[in-house]
Amino acid sequence: MKKLELREPTIAVLFLIPAIVGLLLFYYYPIGHTLALSAYDLSHTAELSPERFVGLQNYVEVLQSKQFWSSIRFTLFFTLVAVSLELTLGMMLALSTYWVWGRLTGILRAIIIIPWAIPQIIQASIWRWMYNTDVGLIGDLFVRVGLTDAPPLFLSNPSLARWAVIVAYVWKGASVAAIFLMGGLALVPKELTDAAKVDGARSWRRFWTITVPMIMPTILVTLLFRTMAGLQIFDIIYGLTNGGPGTTTETLSSFSYKYYFKFVQYGRGSAYAVVTFLLVLIASVIYIRRVQPHFRFKGLGS
Amino acid sequence: MSKKQRQRLHIALSVVVTIGVAFFALLPLYWIVLTSLKAPGTEFRLPIRYWPDEISLEPYRTILGPDFNVQRAILNSLIVSTVTTIGALLLASLAAYTIARLRFTYKWSSLLFIQVASMLPPIIVIAPTFLIIRSMGLLGSLPGLIIPNMIYNIPLSTWLIASYFAGLPFELEDAAKVDGSPPLRIFRQIMLPLAAPGLFSAGVIAFLGSWGEFMLAFTISMGLPEAQTIPVAVQGYTMAMQRQWTWVAAAIVLSLAPVIVLVMVFQKWVVQGLTLGSAKY
Repeated sequence: MKKLELREPTIAVLFLIPAIVGLLLFYYYPIGHTLALSAYDLSHTAELSPERFVGLQNYVEVLQSKQFWSSIRFTLFFTLVAVSLELTLGMMLALSTYWVWGRLTGILRAIIIIPWAIPQIIQASIWRWMYNTDVGLIGDLFVRVGLTDAPPLFLSNPSLARWAVIVAYVWKGASVAAIFLMGGLALVPKELTDAAKVDGARSWRRFWTITVPMIMPTILVTLLFRTMAGLQIFDIIYGLTNGGPGTTTETLSSFSYKYYFKFVQYGRGSAYAVVTFLLVLIASVIYIRRVQPHFRFKGLGS
Repeated sequence: MSKKQRQRLHIALSVVVTIGVAFFALLPLYWIVLTSLKAPGTEFRLPIRYWPDEISLEPYRTILGPDFNVQRAILNSLIVSTVTTIGALLLASLAAYTIARLRFTYKWSSLLFIQVASMLPPIIVIAPTFLIIRSMGLLGSLPGLIIPNMIYNIPLSTWLIASYFAGLPFELEDAAKVDGSPPLRIFRQIMLPLAAPGLFSAGVIAFLGSWGEFMLAFTISMGLPEAQTIPVAVQGYTMAMQRQWTWVAAAIVLSLAPVIVLVMVFQKWVVQGLTLGSAKY
């Protein structure tokens, strides 16, 4: 019996085809399709017929709308504040797992990882209850601590709603950042982290002059991932405020989704989606250029 | 301060730090569990109570009763997450093996092609995906949800599995090739078992990711109970029952129980996977 001889490049193609086709169908083709949709005037239809072609008009209208500017401003504000908080808290959490008494390390890590596991939309439901005006936990804590006389209207006061969304989001985001940063810290020689326990003031300087530069690649990647997550934020907005009150907490993604599936305006929705995409793209290009010196694919082989 | 005193102080402070972290990290969960154990109606009683006065299982009885479809939604989620994970691992392990082990010209561009996809925001693909699933006649069905989900998990899974393949010695395959084993057998019987830790990490992360996925699940389910996953159902209850928070809380607890157990049991794999995933660059 003669064996069918397959050469390595042929096998490679055969093995890669399923994944490549899947990605083409559900990632790359949809991007093209979304770009196309954004050039048409589509109300309650997704049919790209020539007479509906409007070129860049959707973008012009979007750029002229106040809604767009308020949503892009909130998206950027959200990302900036959330990422800064996530990184700071995440670093504190990650460092604490190295600092604490050995027997508590395991417990502390287990606690830190739990918020990561909570789906964002479920998290939105939980925080909605915590922010409840009448019997919410957060409002009650505010009153008890003496910050306010009555529980604040977290989700119906525009300026409070913005912060309410951010705090709920950071609760989980800090946990994600901490997990990444713990991975980075694991690469720092143990003498450095151990020595940091002993002398208080000097350890702070050592942290900035030795630890931070050593784990810079991890810090930059954490920044990149969290920035991308922030720019495309959707679930927590949808579940917690649904963009409200009014449109104060509406983000690019949440607006896009509304145009798609509530108003069934595919053209307008796509224009918002494309802007989200561009922001994410710009952010990743900036970061990747910064990270370039560390760029490598470990062990890709010869 | 003597050495012993310093050590005692360190232990004491460690306990304080751990309790502090636990307080912030677990407070929302504590609060929702507490609410889910209150007799319906009493959750709006003032002043609010931080400890359970009396435990009532009524919310669970109601939410698991005939008026709701929590069991169905959890079953749907289990099906979606399991099939998604198996499918993603299959496609990703083939791709990962190719990229990490085989010699061919377009190695770098294939890797780029696969990894760039993981950077795309879901909103840019959601409308065409909806249209594709509609044209396949799969709206409101689990396959309509599973197929895209499977693809979404390919990039990270490929990465994780490839990192394991890349670390294996090349002599393994060379020996098998000399024996004349066909490539698929080399892949399945020799290489795949050796990459098991990578598969495992990727699997746990894919499972948890698809368990919590919302945008696609919500869009494709079209509000039909037979296609709703548990996050979609919980979101629906939250919107519909603003005066019945004990019921909603019970549904939330039920939706979280499986993932929390999973994360606690497989903590090591999750952390390993995420760390490796962040070491991409």
